Amino acid sequence: MNGVRAIIRKELADHFSSYRFIILFALIAMVSLITVYMVGLNIRNELEGVAKPKFIFLMLFTSSGALFSLVQFVAFFGPLIGLILGFDAINRERNDGTLSKLLSQPIYRDVVINGKFLAGVITITVMLVSIVMLVTGLGLSIVGVIPGMEEFWRIFVYLIISIIYVSFWLGVSILFSIIFRSIATSALAALAVWIFFSFFISLGASVVANAFLSESGESTPEAVVKRAKIVRGVSLASPMQLYTSATATIIDPTRKTTRSIVAMGPMEQMSMSRFSGPLSLSQSVFIVMPYIVTLIAVTLICFGISYLVFMRQEIRSL
Amino acid sequence: MYGKKPDRLFIIVSIAILGLLLLQLPLMAYAEDKKGKELPDRLVKMAVQYPGVEVPPDEDVDLELIFYNRGKAEETVIAWVDEKPDGWTAKIKTYKFSVSGIHVPSNDDRTLTFEAQPDKGIKPGEYKFRIKAKTPDGRFEMSEEVVITVKTKKTDEKEARGVKLNTSYPVLRGPSDAKFEFSLEVDSKLDKEGLFDLFAQGPEGWEINFKPAYEDKYISSLRLKEKASQTVAVALKPPAKAKAGEYPVKVRVTSGDAKAEVDLMVILTGTYGIEVGTPDGLLSLDARQGKSANLSIYVKNTGSAVNHNIKFMSFKPENWEVKFKPESLDAVNPGEFKQVEVEIKPFEEALVGDYSVSVNVEGEKAAKPIELRVTVNASAAWGWIGIGIIILVVIGLTGLFRWLGRR
Repeated sequence: MNGVRAIIRKELADHFSSYRFIILFALIAMVSLITVYMVGLNIRNELEGVAKPKFIFLMLFTSSGALFSLVQFVAFFGPLIGLILGFDAINRERNDGTLSKLLSQPIYRDVVINGKFLAGVITITVMLVSIVMLVTGLGLSIVGVIPGMEEFWRIFVYLIISIIYVSFWLGVSILFSIIFRSIATSALAALAVWIFFSFFISLGASVVANAFLSESGESTPEAVVKRAKIVRGVSLASPMQLYTSATATIIDPTRKTTRSIVAMGPMEQMSMSRFSGPLSLSQSVFIVMPYIVTLIAVTLICFGISYLVFMRQEIRSL
Repeated sequence: MYGKKPDRLFIIVSIAILGLLLLQLPLMAYAEDKKGKELPDRLVKMAVQYPGVEVPPDEDVDLELIFYNRGKAEETVIAWVDEKPDGWTAKIKTYKFSVSGIHVPSNDDRTLTFEAQPDKGIKPGEYKFRIKAKTPDGRFEMSEEVVITVKTKKTDEKEARGVKLNTSYPVLRGPSDAKFEFSLEVDSKLDKEGLFDLFAQGPEGWEINFKPAYEDKYISSLRLKEKASQTVAVALKPPAKAKAGEYPVKVRVTSGDAKAEVDLMVILTGTYGIEVGTPDGLLSLDARQGKSANLSIYVKNTGSAVNHNIKFMSFKPENWEVKFKPESLDAVNPGEFKQVEVEIKPFEEALVGDYSVSVNVEGEKAAKPIELRVTVNASAAWGWIGIGIIILVVIGLTGLFRWLGRR
């Protein structure tokens, strides 16, 4: 365990002193603060005269300021944090020849990869927590509403999911840095995976849906629902989709499903609108439980593969 | 040309005056005739309006005594009741005072009233009265006999003569919480104006009031001119807990001795009321998608009539199932509770959240809806499956660590 701690400390020192980290953090912090500031001003204007609005604090995260909301921003660009932190984790050491030197020390090989991964997770946690704290502080001063217990717990769950999500991308980039000797290749590969899952999978989902449904122009409710089901099924292959669905439901208590289209009869609509209250946190968590579990599992499996590949690799020959 | 017109007008007016004079002639002749008739020096007569009268017991008799003076001189007549049977008080009076005599001018008539009052409980039979009168100098002495026959009491006859009560609808029917109004016609047969008291006797707890027709005020008596009739409404309000059944109501009108009664009847059919609720008063329940949830509700008959054939209807979202056990109730007696199990099964793909499900309990004549708040909860099953998956992954990872670690 001592070895892991030493590695983590060294890695963290590396991360926090590198220009890469500082530029990245500054960029993300700036974008977040600007977004929240604009959202806060909007909310303050909108809520003027409203007696007792509910869940305003969460609106800071979900309403879009200029282009996107904070939640959307993290969903799209959060992966970059993970990728940038991990794409050269192993192969840089290998190329510099420091890996064999490191392993000649009384340090086990698994400690190296564990330490690198954990240091990455800690860095991500520090980053996300500080951003959320900044947002909370700024929101407090702009909107002037103190978050309730319920809102606090929702933000907490959101943070946990976000950390897992970014850690998944960290795991992916570490895996590539183990597989590819060249730093550029691993960086490109990681970026390619990110772009594929973030942007192309939604396009691909509609293509698949069109292929399955013979008449794509059909617009009966059944056809629309069926199409939405296929699109959703395909796009759930993307961790970003999992993350977006999960966090949207967690951070917005009035959202009752992760589905984008729900077939609802008039009676059902009437019956639901009778008591249109927000969900409790436990219900929200139960709804997105499958997504959270999948994210955790995928992250662990990704790390497991990296571990397996790294442990079985020949290192000393280089 | 101008001179001719006044001539013609004069002729017309003369003819008209002449005609009127001619018409007056016979009248004038008659007047002359009467005036010219020779009257004796003194002549006084007495007469009784009705020498024989039949009355029911306990009724006063008023008769007119008429005095005629056909002489030239004015006369004073002294009159008294000479004979009267036992048990009667008799006197001679004017409209105001008891009198002992009367002054009758020449060639004129004067009237006094003979009043006979029987004591209580006078027996039927014939009673003779003798009224005598004379002038103070004793020149004229007059005597008249009055026979009053007291008849045995015959109520029907008397009622018919005094006052009558008519109604077109003597029986009314309705639910127990309704108000009833009978319309009665009070028909006075009396020869004089009278005040009629109204009484009603109904079942205990009933509110009975008399109202003038088309007016909203309560009255307890009524003034009617002779031979007049008026419509009176009898408003009845049953007590809150009145049971179904027949309720007789007796209405009586009295004015002095004139009496009339009428029997009315109200038939209450009972009230119909249903109360629906849950034993603990909780109208919300939790359910899972595609899994049925149970709730027991009670149906109570708050009315006073038996409620038959109670059915259950539900207003629910599409694809939901709402079942009732039993599906319907044959009869619920007043005050009785019946328990009904409601089984609500949300749709498989129902969204998590609160739904409103209305249950309408429909009896024969009463219905009561209740609204249930059904909270559809997300299944916690996924949570356990998820934890299982994560444990498996962690075990796999630990295995990997063991297998490959410490190299």
